[in-house]
Amino acid sequence: MLRITGAVSEKELLDQVMLRSGQNLLECLQCGKCSGGCPIASEKVGGPRQLIAQILSGMKQEALTNPTWWYCVSCGTCMTRCPVEINMYEVATALCELAEENGIAPSEPDIHLFEELFLKSVERYGRVNELRTVTAYNLKTKNPMKDMDKGITLMLKGAMSPLAMLTGWAKDAKTGRIFSLVRGGTEGEQA
Amino acid sequence: MKVAYYPGCSLEGTAKQYDMSAKHVCRGLGIELEEPHGWTCCGSSPALKMNRLLSTALSAHNLALMARQNVADVVAPCPFCFRRLKSAQEEIAEDPALRERVQQVIEEPLNGQLAIHNLLGFLSQKVGLDAIREKVIKPLKGLKVVPYYGCYVVKPPSVTSFDDPENPTSLDEILKVAGAEVLDWDFKVECCGAGLSLSKTEKVVELTGRLIKEAAWRGADAIVVVCQLCQANLDLRQQEIGAQENKNFAVPIIYFTQLLGLAFGYSPRDLGLNRHFVDPVAVLKEKGFA
Repeated sequence: MLRITGAVSEKELLDQVMLRSGQNLLECLQCGKCSGGCPIASEKVGGPRQLIAQILSGMKQEALTNPTWWYCVSCGTCMTRCPVEINMYEVATALCELAEENGIAPSEPDIHLFEELFLKSVERYGRVNELRTVTAYNLKTKNPMKDMDKGITLMLKGAMSPLAMLTGWAKDAKTGRIFSLVRGGTEGEQA
Repeated sequence: MKVAYYPGCSLEGTAKQYDMSAKHVCRGLGIELEEPHGWTCCGSSPALKMNRLLSTALSAHNLALMARQNVADVVAPCPFCFRRLKSAQEEIAEDPALRERVQQVIEEPLNGQLAIHNLLGFLSQKVGLDAIREKVIKPLKGLKVVPYYGCYVVKPPSVTSFDDPENPTSLDEILKVAGAEVLDWDFKVECCGAGLSLSKTEKVVELTGRLIKEAAWRGADAIVVVCQLCQANLDLRQQEIGAQENKNFAVPIIYFTQLLGLAFGYSPRDLGLNRHFVDPVAVLKEKGFA
């Protein structure tokens, strides 16, 4: 059983998450309205109430590997119903940044991969090339035929163009520079 | 009336029909939509999840572009773009240190405040139901629809400041003005699984399955949406949903602007109704609207 000893180190994660997210998790009543309405909460994916309990108890490893914040689609339902209006997608961002800084591998590699590929497309072209991002994802997850039938139907209806795959999109230097300045690097200076 | 129009990435791709129908409807209502030159992605949910500063900076860059357009209003059809732009503008206004940091990253000054609307809110409130009613020449009498708002356009209310987050009615009202029969149902604001489409498809099948089954049970001719992510998730996963129960579901998923366009007298092809995975044209023809 986990007992809080009152050591300062137990509060480190809580302090960091509250500072980065701007959310006062000490107000959490553990009422569970958040997890009750959460579309992604399940036995496997604990949900927001469990995640906050882990943060409050200083369970750093558990919180940073909890699949809840990877699954979070920022629908805002939990915050809408929370009696103290805790914004969980702000908490998710704080945990994602902290996990990366602590060198913790993503507990949901598929979700992480998709989000990485999405941002790569934004960084390169300024906008998301849907077809290229989907194709890259399916190739990297070794499932190249996934949803192929659907893609072909949409192409036949003219809803998707195979040309988007073949013709080069113009690179967008401005977005690349924003990415690099956010990283604090100097590579963008040449852009 | 001239407004800045921020289409977002999907409306250039798989959601082209949302863009086409939005433009036709706005032209019909005498609204000039002006795209900011060189707009870029808002970073969507991946940037919001993975890097707070990046997410705010990407939206701020677009806000700076639109501030140069000499317009008071921004209209975003994509509910996620809408919520992100609106939220970023507020975050920057409330936090001088963040404003400073974001200005350094985007290398542009951030001045002024824009009124940021989602397309549904813009049409139903700013343009108004009376102006829309005047343009309806082919009322959609006898078309049974369920209105699906999804999440991002209304939730969380402290960010969106739009309609009621649990039981919104603006889409209901606009569809009634177009002459459609709006059915009551339980899933107006239940999540479709959003960006988990590819990485957790089984979750999206589970969540959209609830919506499709309820809409079919209510006898809806179509689910009407305001979001391209909802549209794609609901349109593309009906085979998988049906396979679990040995049923064939084929519920058309139509943008509200496409139905408004039909009521304004535009052709189904002008509105991109031929581009959907589940064909909506057959049922519209049967009812005499196409």
